[in-house]
Parts: sequence; C-alpha cells; structure tokens
Amino acid sequence: MALVPLSYNLRSLRVRKSSTLLTIISVGATVAIFAGVLSLQQGFETLFSDSGRADVSVFLRPGAVSEGESGIPPEKCEIIKKSLPEVQVVDGMPLASAESFLAVRRRKLDGGETNVPIRGVEQMTFTIREGEVALSEGRAFAPGSDEVIVGEKLVGRIQGCALGETIWLNTVPFKVVGVFSHDGPFASEIWCDIRRMSDALDRPWYSRVVAVLNPDADINALKERMSEHKEIPAKVMDERTYYEDQTQALSGVLRGLGTFLAVIMGMAAAFTATNTMLAALSTRSHEIGILLSVGFRPTAIFLSFLFEAVLLSLAGGLVGVLVAFAINGAETGTTNFRTFTEIAFAFRVTPTVLSQAVFFSLLLGLLGGAWPAWRASRMKPVEALRRT
Amino acid sequence: MQESQHGVELIRVSREYTRGGEGVKVFDDVDLSVKPGAFCAMMGPSGSGKSTLLNLVGGLDRPDSGDVIVGDTLLSELGESDLAEWRSENVGFVFQGFNLVPVLTAYENVELPLLLTGLSKAERKEHALHALELVGMGDRAKHRPGQLSGGQEQRVAIARAIASDPGVILADEPTGDLDFESACQVLDLLGRLHTELGKTILMVTHDPRAAERAERVIHLDKGRINESPAAPDDGFREVKPKEGEGA
Amino acid sequence: MVPLKLIWRNLLRHKLRVLLTAGSLTVAFFLLCVLQALVVSLDQGVKNASKKRLVVQSAVSLFVNLPISYQGKIETVEGVDETMKMTWFGGYYREPANMFAQFAIDADRMETIYSNVELIEGSWDEFKNTRMSCLVGKETANKYGWSVGDRVPIVGMIYPRLDGSEWQFDIAGIYDAGAEASIDDLTMYFHWDYLEEAMEAGATTGADGIGVYSVLLSDGYSQAGVGAEIDSLFENGPQRVQSTPEGEFNAQFVSMVGNVPFFVGTIGMGVLIAILLATLNTMLMSGREQTRDVGVLKALGFDGSAAFWLLLSQSLILCGFGAGTGIFLALGIEGPLQAVLGSNFPGLQINREVLTPAIILAICVALFAGLAPALRARRLTVIEALREEV
Repeated sequence: MALVPLSYNLRSLRVRKSSTLLTIISVGATVAIFAGVLSLQQGFETLFSDSGRADVSVFLRPGAVSEGESGIPPEKCEIIKKSLPEVQVVDGMPLASAESFLAVRRRKLDGGETNVPIRGVEQMTFTIREGEVALSEGRAFAPGSDEVIVGEKLVGRIQGCALGETIWLNTVPFKVVGVFSHDGPFASEIWCDIRRMSDALDRPWYSRVVAVLNPDADINALKERMSEHKEIPAKVMDERTYYEDQTQALSGVLRGLGTFLAVIMGMAAAFTATNTMLAALSTRSHEIGILLSVGFRPTAIFLSFLFEAVLLSLAGGLVGVLVAFAINGAETGTTNFRTFTEIAFAFRVTPTVLSQAVFFSLLLGLLGGAWPAWRASRMKPVEALRRT
Repeated sequence: MQESQHGVELIRVSREYTRGGEGVKVFDDVDLSVKPGAFCAMMGPSGSGKSTLLNLVGGLDRPDSGDVIVGDTLLSELGESDLAEWRSENVGFVFQGFNLVPVLTAYENVELPLLLTGLSKAERKEHALHALELVGMGDRAKHRPGQLSGGQEQRVAIARAIASDPGVILADEPTGDLDFESACQVLDLLGRLHTELGKTILMVTHDPRAAERAERVIHLDKGRINESPAAPDDGFREVKPKEGEGA
Repeated sequence: MVPLKLIWRNLLRHKLRVLLTAGSLTVAFFLLCVLQALVVSLDQGVKNASKKRLVVQSAVSLFVNLPISYQGKIETVEGVDETMKMTWFGGYYREPANMFAQFAIDADRMETIYSNVELIEGSWDEFKNTRMSCLVGKETANKYGWSVGDRVPIVGMIYPRLDGSEWQFDIAGIYDAGAEASIDDLTMYFHWDYLEEAMEAGATTGADGIGVYSVLLSDGYSQAGVGAEIDSLFENGPQRVQSTPEGEFNAQFVSMVGNVPFFVGTIGMGVLIAILLATLNTMLMSGREQTRDVGVLKALGFDGSAAFWLLLSQSLILCGFGAGTGIFLALGIEGPLQAVLGSNFPGLQINREVLTPAIILAICVALFAGLAPALRARRLTVIEALREEV
C-alpha cells in the first residue's frame, strides 16, 4: 500500500505553527509533570533499596513496622547480639549492634519545624557499616562523650548541624564533631553514642538490633524461631525488605499521584492534540480529496494523520523529558510515613522514567489522533475536493 | 430606496506599499472623478491598483497624500470608528469570494449591516427580506451559504451590500468565481441597481464582457488612469471639477 | 455591539472541539474545587482553633511523653485556668482498618476544657463517674452503629494488653464537636485513670507519662505569654516542653502527613497549565477561522471593539460553561465526598473559600485564552483579514 509522503505531515505541522507549538507544549507539560513525579518516586525508592543490604538482618519488637515504634530493652539486645549462632563473628566479636532511634524536633534553616531522626549507635555499627558510612568532615564521636556526627544532607537544611555547632537533646548539649556521607537514608540522620542518647533523652530502651549474618545462615528459619522466642521475641527481616516496607507507603502515594495527574492532564493534552488534528483536517481536506482521487487508500490517509499526531506528541514528550532532566539530581525532602521523619533525596530520571514518559506521550498522540484520522479516512473524494 | 447622491472624487492621491523592503508606488498623484449614479468598471493587469482604488473609496485604506471624497465626506477627516460608521451608512461591498459569514443564514447575513442602523427588529426584517427579494433570493432566506451555489451566494452578498441602502456599491471582481450564467445574473443585478436604484457603482473586473455592462470603463496601468476609448458617452469627467449633471 | 447570533453560531461551528474543550474545563474545575476544598478543610482546624487553649508537649520529640508531675506545676502558672492530660492511645476496633483516634484524658475536666462540645446522647455525669466509660464522636458512633450503653472492644497497639485481650469501654455519651473546630466528631475519649490502673496492675505495657497537656487560659491572658512562662518552668528539665497555641499544634500534624498544600498545589498547577493550553489552542483556532468574518464585519461598518468582543465572549462563554459545569458537579458531589473523605478531612465542604478562587481562575483562563485572538481581531484591517488564507 502506498503511504502518504512524510513531508506532507511536516509541512502541515509547519503551516499551523501556533497550534503545533501549543500542542507540543501541552503534551510537554503533561509529560514533564508525569516524569517529575515518577523521578521523585524513583529517587525515593532507590535511596532506600540501593542502600539496603541482604546480609544484614534487622530485629524489631514483634508487631512493630518500623524502628520508630519498636522498643527492645538493652539487656535483651545484648542477648540477641551474643546468643544467635547465625550472627557472623569477627575477632571474637559478633557483628551486631543495638541502635536507638527517635525523631526529634529540629528547626529548619529556612524556617519551620521538622522531625529529624537521631540514631544512637555502638562502635560495632561503624564496623558493620564500613564502606557505607564515611566521614567527610571532622572526626567520629568519642565513645561515651556528648558528641554527635551529622549526615551531610542535614548540614544545609537544619539548624545547629554544621561542624562545631551544638545540638541540644533535651537539656544536654551535644557538639557536632563530624559530618558523614551515606548513599541512603542515614545521610539525613544525626548519630551519637547509644548510651549517651538514652541518658540525655531518658529512654531506657533501645529501638532495634542490626546484625550481619553468616553467608550460610537461613534467615527464614531465624525469622520463625525469633517470632516464637520465649525470652527475646523479635520480628526479623533483612535490611532490604525492611527498607522496602518503609518506602511502600510513599511510593504508593507518588505512583498514585503520578497516575492521577497523568490521566487528568493527559485528557486535556489529548483533547488539544485532537483539536489541532481536526484543524489540520479542515485545512487539508482539499489535499485529502486529491490524494483519494489519485488512488491513495483511506488506510493510508488514516495512517498519515495518526502519524502526524504521534509526531506531535513525541515532540511534546521530548520537551517534557528535557524539562524532567533539568530537575534530575535536584534535592528535595519528604516525609517517611513510617517514622514521620523528613528525608532528603534527589529526583532521579532513570531509564524507567524515560521509557514510561515516552510511552505516555506516544499514547497521548494515538488517543488524540485517532478520531481526526478516522474522520480523514472516511472523507469522500468529491466532498473533500469541494470544501475549501 | 433613494437614488444615489454620491459622487466619488480622488484628488492628487498617492499610495505606496512596501513589498520585500522596497517601496512600490501604486498611485502617484492621481485624480479621478466619478459622478453620482455612474456605473464604472475598472480594468487592468494585476498590481495595477484596481483593488487599492476600491479600498481607498470604501475607506478600507488611506492614501499617503491627497484627498478621497465620497458624496460630501472627506474620508481623511474621519477616525477609524467614524470611518466604520460611515461605511455602514454609505458603502456596500461585493467581493470576489462572496465573503458571506458561513455560520449565518442568507437572511442573517443580509441583516448584519442593518444591526448597525438602529432599526427595530421588524424593520430590519422588512429591509432584509426586501433586499433578498430584489436579488431573487427571497425563497432561500433560511439557507446557509454552504447550501447555496456560487451565483446564489453572490446574489445574497449583493443583497447584503444594498440592505442598508448605501449610495455607493463597490464590487471587487464580483463575477471572478462564477460560471458564465451566474456571472450574467450578477451583472444584470448590478445593472439594475444602477438603472433602477441609481446607485453609484465601482466595479473591478478582468472580464471585458463584464466591463461592457458599465457606462464607463477606466483602465489602470502602473498607477495611471486611462479612459477606455470605447467607453460610452457620459461619465467622462476625468481630472475635471465635478458638475451637477447627476441624475 | 456584536450580533449575539454570530457569537453563538461560531461557538457551535465545531461542536466536537467545543465539547472536548468544555469537557476538559469541566474535569479540571471539578478537580480544582475538590482539591481546594481539601486544603481549606485542613486549614480550618488550624484557623478556627481556640485562642484560649495551649497544648504543652515535649520540646524534644513528638514521640516523647511528659512526666505526670508536670500537671500540678503547670497549674501554678498564672493565667492557667484548667489543665487536662491527653495521651494518644493508638487503637483500632476489631480490624486494623477500623482505625480512629482515641485519647486517654482527665474525664472530669473535659467538659471545662472543651466547653463547646455537646453531648447529643448520654450525660457528662455518667462519663465522669464510670471508670470504664468513654465518649464517642457522633460520626464514629454512626459508622459502627454504636449507642450509649454499648460496650466496645478496642485493640491497643501502643498499649497492648499482655494477655492478648482487647480493651473494653462502655459508651457513656456521644458528642457533637459543634463549634469546637479543633476537634472532630470521630474521636473516642476515655479515663486516663483507667489506663494508668491497667499499667500499674501490669496488664499492659507502653510509654509512661502523658502525651500532652491541654491548657485552658483564664480570661485576659495571651497564649504567647502563658506559653513562655510554662516553657521556662521546665527549661532545666527533666523534660523540656514546648507550649504551642492549639492551632499550631494541629498544623504540625497536617504538615506531618506530608506537605499536602504542596502536593495539591502541584496537581492544581499541572491541571491548570494543561487546561490553559487546551483552551488557548481552541480559541486561537476559532480566531483564525473567523478572520474572514471579522473582515466582513469591519467592512460592513462594525468597529474594532465588536470584533474584539466577538472572540472574547466566545472564550468567556466556553470557560463559563465548562468551568461552571465542573463547579456545579463539585457542589453536587459534596455529600458523597464528605462521606468518603470526611474522616481524614473534617469539615470538608464546597464553600465560598472554594468557589471564589475557582470562579476567579475560570475568568482568568477565559481572558488568557480569549485575549490573544480578540486583540488580533481588533487590530486586523479589513484588507488583511480578507486576504488571509484560512
């Protein structure tokens, strides 16, 4: 089947410049917002999933879904650390540490209050996190001292979080002696000695235990055993699963938001495309008449129009993706719904985002172009020629 | 309807356009006088200034210098909106492409200029129907332009041009888009407007047969005006002060 | 003066296009109204909160309780009329999905603190005098079909009963929050003493202390003044406090749920951009198609303003019709919306605060989309207009 030359479409788009441009912007804005929300979700998700380790297990109070609501007495933490054969031992020391977690009120530098996670850790934590957590400024806190190190994402955002400044925990001043980096959520946290934190905040219990398991350890068996343990009942999961649970709620919200926006804005964008193509139809009806009368099939006309619509929407999609790229890497903060703490992370325009955005713009073009293309293909040659 | 009291007078009119960065003189110091009630055809090659002349007389365009006087109105003295108002009372246009408003019926198209007159609805109806009857389109009043043939559309357009009883009818290639038969009907109609109603008619045309219907033929070439030697007797008043010879 | 018929007929010239545009306007404005209603409802609890009450909470963390001993100390501050313990209980009825707020409070003081709360069933005396009793908001009571005298089982998540059983509460009254904007009709209030007793008996575990103290001020004292006084009282511990006006206290929960106004703003902007462009596109096309009409009108003696209004009024009608339908739909769905979202957004309604911005936005969209073609129509000369290829 002979197809209508592509140059006809290009000329048609050029002739109606303002419509073409508006449609492209309209599709572009829609795709940009869609891609923006998606890259927000991707950024949030990769922040957690990339930093979760499969060989690290997390022990929480039975029934707790996050460390924010978990609580384990210190003596039970000790038992968990030392009594489990699955936990890897290095130089006679089990690779396990207790952690205390609390969301504390902090003032943001740009005004307002937010909840910042403070994590009391043991020295073993640094051994476990070797290679993950690295000091970028200053030094580590001295064990048993009133010193803290802060995640680098807090430095420009939260009051009192620059090197040398003082952070008050209730009535106790803690000195910021170091800044550390982490590719995951720790970069939005304050770390200090677990005992000093318990004393300062008068919290007699810890939040969780993390332990590196032996490579051949059966985590499922451990999980089952711990859930029914008489003395130290605990909920066990690997860190990756733990983080996935943390992100589920917000990821769901962002996905929902993205889909919702895509549908509503997409509708308007598809309408705009339809209108533009209908206008193309009326200005080109003479041409269609000629094409039909010299023997082009209606299907060729249909494809030509649909192609023009897709061309339009893909151009819009390109604009949208470019806009999305402009915000790639931009830092933003959001709330971890599980612990009600604020976490900083970056927009990430991943291949997933790109392919979904392009697919979306393609869909808009097909939706917007279908009806005008069908109308064009159903024109009678004589009628088309008569209309001017 | 009353007979026209509108003569047309161009005094030392110059008009220049810029095309492709260069000034093109359409008219340079041109004089023309058309007496009231004359039927005047204008011929000439493309770009000779026929349409510009029509636009100047209709107040759609303004000369760079010189005066255009229609009836007793000096057009250059009028502002844009006064000019628009003047047009609605004194000039009727007939275009080559008919230029009927596609969404309105024949009747509504003819009624359009009457909306500017302050006539009551009943009076407007009377005038519009009368104009349609006059052009033989009374039975097509409720049709849209798209449902009419070209000749019919042009007759409706003529009805619209005369609906508010203007003194001057300006027709720009009125038969240009029409077949022979329709063209004849339209020319007959214009002739009747001239003879029966005494309208002053200026008609631009390419068609010598159309020009034959006029009592005076003006040839334009490169912004200059020449009377046709074959032109019938009267109407020959070029570059001369007007005189009250009118009908 | 513009012939009205011409405006109307031109609008209907491309029925599908106008329908699509009006359709998107309808969807967009329906959405904008609902979103705005959500934001307004969130603000309401903050804005209408009492100026006579303070909330004293831990300065350290939202998740840290205050000592019981603080109540007496707070009452020594000048300007404090009454105080009430409030501890978040965090339970659900039968299924985790049946989550609603429960607070352990000083049962004998609630009537004084929330003087506008009205019991539509039961009596304050009954509530005050029965240790296991509770008050339930009318909406929650309706939802679960509860009435006074019922015994309801609640599973405590923060205060689980160690024997695995449920907590039992006897409903002594059903309340209507009425003009008390800071509380909704969904909450359950019960005796703090009842909780304390269970803890002392070892029947439950959970955090010691009191979540927050609600403080009623005497006449003539300001929230800021008394608040500062209370804060300074505990400056040196053992637990620093932060006294906030009730409105601000409510606001912190709103912002914790995520930056709702930001999300809503983003959605709103996105929808608005899309609809603006769609409408502009439609109007520009209409403007182009009517170029010749404009030329004819002007040749016939209509002036520039007639041409201007010919186009602008089409935009106004289009937006008025499309947006108007959306706004009416939003008004129509107010009831179902309250039924679905009422528990998260108390006081949700499509009121003047919602309608005014929607109407203003609709006019803005109409002007934005209509001005370009209208101004062009006004400017065009007859010669240009008639020469234009359509």
